[in-house]
Amino acid sequence: MNGKNYYSRRFFLKTSGALAALAAIPATVKSFYMDAKRLIIPPRQKQPLIVKVNKQTHKLDVDTRTTLLDLLREDLHLTGTKKGCDHGQCGACTVHVNGERVLSCLTLAATLPGKEVTTIEGLADGDQLHPMQAAFLECDGFQCGYCTPGQIMSAVACVKEGHTKSVAEIKEFMSGNLCRCGAYNGIVASIQKVAK
Amino acid sequence: MGLFNTKNKAAGKPDGRVEGIAKVTGAGKYAAEYKVDNMCHAVFAGSTIAAGTIKSIYLDNAKQVEGVLDIITHLNKPAVPGFASETKLKETRFGLPLFHTDKVYFRNQPVAMVVADTLENATYAASLIEFTYQEDTPTVDFKKAHPSVPLKMQGKERGSLDAWSNAPQVVDQQYDIAAEVHNPMEMHATIAHWTADDKLVLYDKTQGVVNVQRTIAKIFEIPQENIEVFSEFVGGGFGSGLRVWTNGVGAVMAAKAVKRPVKLMLTRSQMFSLTGYRPAAWQRVKLGADNDGKFLGIHHQGKNGTSVFEPFQEGITSITRMVYNFDNLKAEQSIVPLNLGTPTWMRGPGDCTGAFAVECAIDELSYQLNMDPVALRLKNFAITHDPENKKPYSSNFIDECITKGAEMIDWKQRKQQPGALTEGDWKIGYGVAVGMWGAGRGNASAGITMEKDGTMTVKTAMTDIGTGTGTAMQNMTHTFTGMPKDKIKIALGHSTLPTAGSQGGSTGLSSISGAVSAVCDALKKQLADYAAAINPAYKDAKPADVLLSATGVSLKTDKNEFVSLADIWQKNNLTDISVKASSGPGAERQQYAFCCSTAHFVKVRVNTKTGKVKVERAICVADGGTIVNEKPAANQISGAIVGGIGMALMEEIHADEKLGNLVGNDLAGYHFAVNADAPIIEVAFINKPDPYVNPSGAKGLGEVGIIGCAPAIANAIYNATGKRLRDLPITPDKVLV
Ligand code: FES
Ligand code: FES
Repeated sequence: MNGKNYYSRRFFLKTSGALAALAAIPATVKSFYMDAKRLIIPPRQKQPLIVKVNKQTHKLDVDTRTTLLDLLREDLHLTGTKKGCDHGQCGACTVHVNGERVLSCLTLAATLPGKEVTTIEGLADGDQLHPMQAAFLECDGFQCGYCTPGQIMSAVACVKEGHTKSVAEIKEFMSGNLCRCGAYNGIVASIQKVAK
Repeated sequence: MGLFNTKNKAAGKPDGRVEGIAKVTGAGKYAAEYKVDNMCHAVFAGSTIAAGTIKSIYLDNAKQVEGVLDIITHLNKPAVPGFASETKLKETRFGLPLFHTDKVYFRNQPVAMVVADTLENATYAASLIEFTYQEDTPTVDFKKAHPSVPLKMQGKERGSLDAWSNAPQVVDQQYDIAAEVHNPMEMHATIAHWTADDKLVLYDKTQGVVNVQRTIAKIFEIPQENIEVFSEFVGGGFGSGLRVWTNGVGAVMAAKAVKRPVKLMLTRSQMFSLTGYRPAAWQRVKLGADNDGKFLGIHHQGKNGTSVFEPFQEGITSITRMVYNFDNLKAEQSIVPLNLGTPTWMRGPGDCTGAFAVECAIDELSYQLNMDPVALRLKNFAITHDPENKKPYSSNFIDECITKGAEMIDWKQRKQQPGALTEGDWKIGYGVAVGMWGAGRGNASAGITMEKDGTMTVKTAMTDIGTGTGTAMQNMTHTFTGMPKDKIKIALGHSTLPTAGSQGGSTGLSSISGAVSAVCDALKKQLADYAAAINPAYKDAKPADVLLSATGVSLKTDKNEFVSLADIWQKNNLTDISVKASSGPGAERQQYAFCCSTAHFVKVRVNTKTGKVKVERAICVADGGTIVNEKPAANQISGAIVGGIGMALMEEIHADEKLGNLVGNDLAGYHFAVNADAPIIEVAFINKPDPYVNPSGAKGLGEVGIIGCAPAIANAIYNATGKRLRDLPITPDKVLV
């Protein structure tokens, strides 16, 4: 730890407490608070992690701030999972964690011990495409392909969840996966094909 | 490199795009996804004011973050030659002198850049940089700013305004459109790698690798050929990839500074300020007609927003000159500088904006005349000649589009009386509008390499942004040569491949089809020459007479004169054959005018209690000449309609008037159509070849699908409710007022 810049959590709590007490003199408080903030640069923290991705076990040391999405893309070079917003707003990063669809950008890697992650790269069985992948290919359920891995992971889950009784239901349950190319016709058709 | 694996096809995999397997398995590499050794990450810190001057920068905190390699600001930047002076900056056409000025022109303008070992460290450090500014008052509200900007003549006046001053029927209205952001799903990203002092490799999200080469060469003053650009998979563009943005220049600067490869991916919020947008627009249309509905004249005025440091004018009034016969036409335009980033072309640029006003005004006229809006349009279309330059249209089927669309939606169900169809709280209405786009064609080159087993790789530097260019190239090569498709591979999106322009303005397919045709001829000629050494029947064979198969060549005139590829290789002592050819528009452009067109029909439901508008049916009939590849073509059109639904009903950027920041600049705050917002879109094509546009007879479809979509929806809302809403997007609050 870097002695010069290290301040304990206690110090911070104490400082914050002092701030609360001094709330009546805002100008001073603000500058005091700014000074305090300037000194507290927490060092990076790493945590050991054992996680299974696409049936393969990885032993890693992860930055506690790293999301599952960045772990996949930057550390494991599994770039099939896409970053479209990093804020849980687009679905491009959808993967399966223990078989459920999950937004990997909203999942901290540190929360994963013991969990099983499946990404788009783990969906096919060797050379044999997953039926949903084949359906997307056949129904042209994409254009640029950037939202596609997320769409496919969601679509597989959508079928499993049984939300495929009508076009309207499919559309509703696939609306967390944005497609700016607007390939929604083909996405719905692909799901209908697999759900049959 | 950009080689799309088609081998799964042989294993009985379903038919799809050439790059389809790579896309559905996640194997395709987009710009930020290349693995480059020793790479680090750059993150921008943006200005927190929208206008003013940087007074001080406090970096100490940020510097303390572990892993930080460098922090670049205007005070310590490595000097970029292209930004050294006003004149040089103009030459680069880049606009913003990134990190070379203390001026702040818009909020979120990159004012510092942290380079660190990991994305987490860079992001954290960037958040710790503090600035003080001398703040000026920003201007960000287009609606407030535009009235004080005068209009200027745009193009030549046709006839005169006086000629129809007594027109018995006149519509004179104003129309507004909020700014929209492209927001391709892939955020703009660049990996920059200096492999020598003056040699650069870039992995960039762009719609044109050659444009990136050219721009970066200008800015950093290194030879264009020393820059290698990869853009093999592009996660959408819609126009935002037609320019080089700060992520590109920033990554190159950072990589130079830290002497390591650098990746810079913008955040979604940064995408709203740093990669262009369709600018806000105001329009006034005055339209005159006689009592039978024949148009007498039009006066079209338009203004659009731009940034304070770069002028950008939309071609708002161009479409007014092409679709209908107006003997009298006057157009005026101007631009309104705002403290926002620079706007850029967005799908159907200009025409999309212009069509909203013109197509709504025509609809208004139809009700005034009590005339069916389909009939009114049919009466006034300029079918045979371009009304502006009087050249005959090479082909124009806009009338067939509108007739077919009316049939498909069962237009008879529509009531001329607005508000006549009701179901509970819902009012139902039908709307129509048309779109048109000049069918352009640029220069392009393509190459083919044929290997010993007959496998052909067709190559071009052009990118495929999701339009299906690669698949179309495979189809065309199959048609032109006869070679089975599973023997035809495609390589795209790399600057060392034969040069081609950007994928934009719907010219991609049109340009490349000429190049593919030419290179197929070159290959056939070459093979015929080699075959002639074995069989004299090939001596004077023309390319058109030569047919390819997986095993050899034959002559159309006499199939028995077969020569196997094996013999050709052996006899001529070859390992492979490579040919290259270029093509471009020619004299036909002097003789003819070219256009593609669409007719949009929609049926909407409008909830009278909530103001919600639901597009129940959306139909588009398009004339794109020959349809080279039906599925991707229909996908292009239906995708454009999804974009049109967003434009009509939900997409808008809000800027806070005081702070100058964009409000809701993420995908939760900025709504575009999700799956449930769009019906299953019905698409049909006229599918008749254009005789002169290019060898394939295909006209581009990318833009024309969105042009006319928003006005069709606005017109349907009027038909449903009797409310004429002239301000996009038509959000529920406007419907309810
Ligand atoms: S990247 Fe995770 S939801 Fe958008
Ligand atoms: S295919 Fe491009 S975003 Fe969905």
